Amino acid sequence: MHGRGGQGAVTASRIIATAAYEEGKYSQAIPMYGTERRGAPLTAYVRIDDVRVRERELVHTPGISLCFDPLLSLQQAVANDLLPNGQVLLNAPFAPDKSELAGNINIATVDATSIALETLGRPITNTAMLGAFAKATGVVKLESIEKAIKKYFPGRLGDMNIAAVRKSYEKVSPWVPAKNKVAPKMQVDLNVGGYGTLKDVSSWRVFYPVVNEEKCIGCKTCWIFCPEAALEWKANNKPAMVDRACKGCGVCANECPVKAIEMKRVEI
Amino acid sequence: MSYEVMVGNKATAVGCKLARVKVAAVFPITPQTTITEYLSEIHASGDLPNFEFINAEGELSSQVIAQAAEATGARSFTCTSGPGLLYMHHPMQETASKRLPLVMAVVHRGVKSMQPDHSDLMSQQWQGWLHLYVENAQEILDTTIMAYKIAEDKRIRLPVAMGYDGYVLSYTAEPVEIPAQEDVDKFLPPYKPMPGIFPVSDKDDKWRDFEANPKTFGAGWGEGDPMKPWQMHNEAALNGETVIKEVFAEWGKKFGRTYGNGMIEQYRVEGADCVITAMGTIAGTAMAAIDKLWADGKKVGLVKIRSFLPFPRSDFQAIAKNVKAIGVFDRSCQPGMWGPVYHQMRSTLYDEAKKTPVIGFIGGLSGKEVRVADMYKIGEKTLKVAQGGKPEAPIQWV
Repeated sequence: MHGRGGQGAVTASRIIATAAYEEGKYSQAIPMYGTERRGAPLTAYVRIDDVRVRERELVHTPGISLCFDPLLSLQQAVANDLLPNGQVLLNAPFAPDKSELAGNINIATVDATSIALETLGRPITNTAMLGAFAKATGVVKLESIEKAIKKYFPGRLGDMNIAAVRKSYEKVSPWVPAKNKVAPKMQVDLNVGGYGTLKDVSSWRVFYPVVNEEKCIGCKTCWIFCPEAALEWKANNKPAMVDRACKGCGVCANECPVKAIEMKRVEI
Repeated sequence: MSYEVMVGNKATAVGCKLARVKVAAVFPITPQTTITEYLSEIHASGDLPNFEFINAEGELSSQVIAQAAEATGARSFTCTSGPGLLYMHHPMQETASKRLPLVMAVVHRGVKSMQPDHSDLMSQQWQGWLHLYVENAQEILDTTIMAYKIAEDKRIRLPVAMGYDGYVLSYTAEPVEIPAQEDVDKFLPPYKPMPGIFPVSDKDDKWRDFEANPKTFGAGWGEGDPMKPWQMHNEAALNGETVIKEVFAEWGKKFGRTYGNGMIEQYRVEGADCVITAMGTIAGTAMAAIDKLWADGKKVGLVKIRSFLPFPRSDFQAIAKNVKAIGVFDRSCQPGMWGPVYHQMRSTLYDEAKKTPVIGFIGGLSGKEVRVADMYKIGEKTLKVAQGGKPEAPIQWV
């Protein structure tokens, strides 16, 4: 399962695990934690079996891949390493035959973001994917998903989420074999497991820090507060961003006592 | 009985609730933190009567507070991870020396990274606690309750540490069956505190009996033999082998869930040419590898080690009689001495008439993922030795 922090992919993995257990099956939902930040790509894994699941490695060759984010749905990485004839269910506003994802896979799409905005008023797409998941894969029944959702979201919130589930159950497209068989060579690696200091998180930034060296007094407050060791110290006693390590949180700008750091919008 | 799909850390908190823990003294540290959060929620809900939740200012304090609470007669709990455990090192010794049956969850976090390995709990071998290693969320809940029964047994009266891997178990959600409170109450009676007992003189042999001869907590500076507290402590820890088996057998009878004999859990060992051993979550992954090995005609069994301290000596001496090699997997490394499980295994089998080769594997350090394919290879390598081959090295990195 691929999503971004804040879209509820981890909760969705637990809802599927709960729904499966409701149907008499054993299950396991593993979240992949790393440097957490709203909007950062993340993965979660679910196993379902007739006996208690004891194997605990991550799921490296899934049968089904779910993508909760419309932009990640464009990335080949969400469709890689699937079992032959694997199923890829995307949150995308277009029909599955428009997807460029490649491989010996079948693709289905549902516009979960629109469904979430209509039913929840926020682009939290997890429950708006789960109805589509139940319908398209048949792994769990719609009733079981609804039963599980009530355990996680009591009251009105549960009703709203169930509305999202039902809508996506109706709207999901049929499966279509991928039109491209060979994946492109250049690919973005979505695996950000582990810690920011060890990974390239430059693609997470919406804003990045720019230092006004005239104003900077070289006190190192920014360097002390940076949670990812993403500031290096230059010979002239001024800080500079480490491109690979900065996730764009803005703590440095916030802590600077002379306001010498400005967060600028990344231009694409 | 009910069920919930819950993460490993929640299973610990629910286990504490079912054990009717009176005092939890905790300090948060990843990946243990959510236990403290769940316990704090239980406290706030008021569902557990007479439950004190104490936010300590560090692990040194959380251990001391839990220790003191236990000494006043309250069933107590604490939990930590990696560096937090190292910070507790000093008072942990006191908890054991005072013979206080505290239970602590250690959510493994390595000492060289935030990711899991067993180097945290392995570094506390000399503290006089019993060390159990568990594999899945259900086992966490069940073992939390059983740990109190083991710790509070008159033959033991020692603290118990229950270790499980951070992240892959602490945060992984699985269906967990929650036993009914009244059944747990029947299994685990209320904690009956007993003062510590220590010999006044060498002729005074009543020191073995907690009830008949209450004295004080901790060894005094009396005229008694200063070695006696050590002798008693060692004896009590060794009693673990008997008591753990008894408690797990009773649990199995009452709740229908067993974990081998409590000390070890054997998987497809019957008819196997050789066995590999593993602890914690890696044992679960190893089971998948064992199934593949048998499917490929390779007769390799698995022994999951549940209790590292005391070490399942009699079990392995019996197993060694029937297999031609043992491959030991260590998820920690004491630099200069290799893996601690490997050493225990070799010392356990040293006096046996039949020499069974023991080879070592070290893997999963600093959270490196151990995959089914890794355990498959370990099985193959052990099998090669069982068939008379020479290992590439006595101990290998995975």
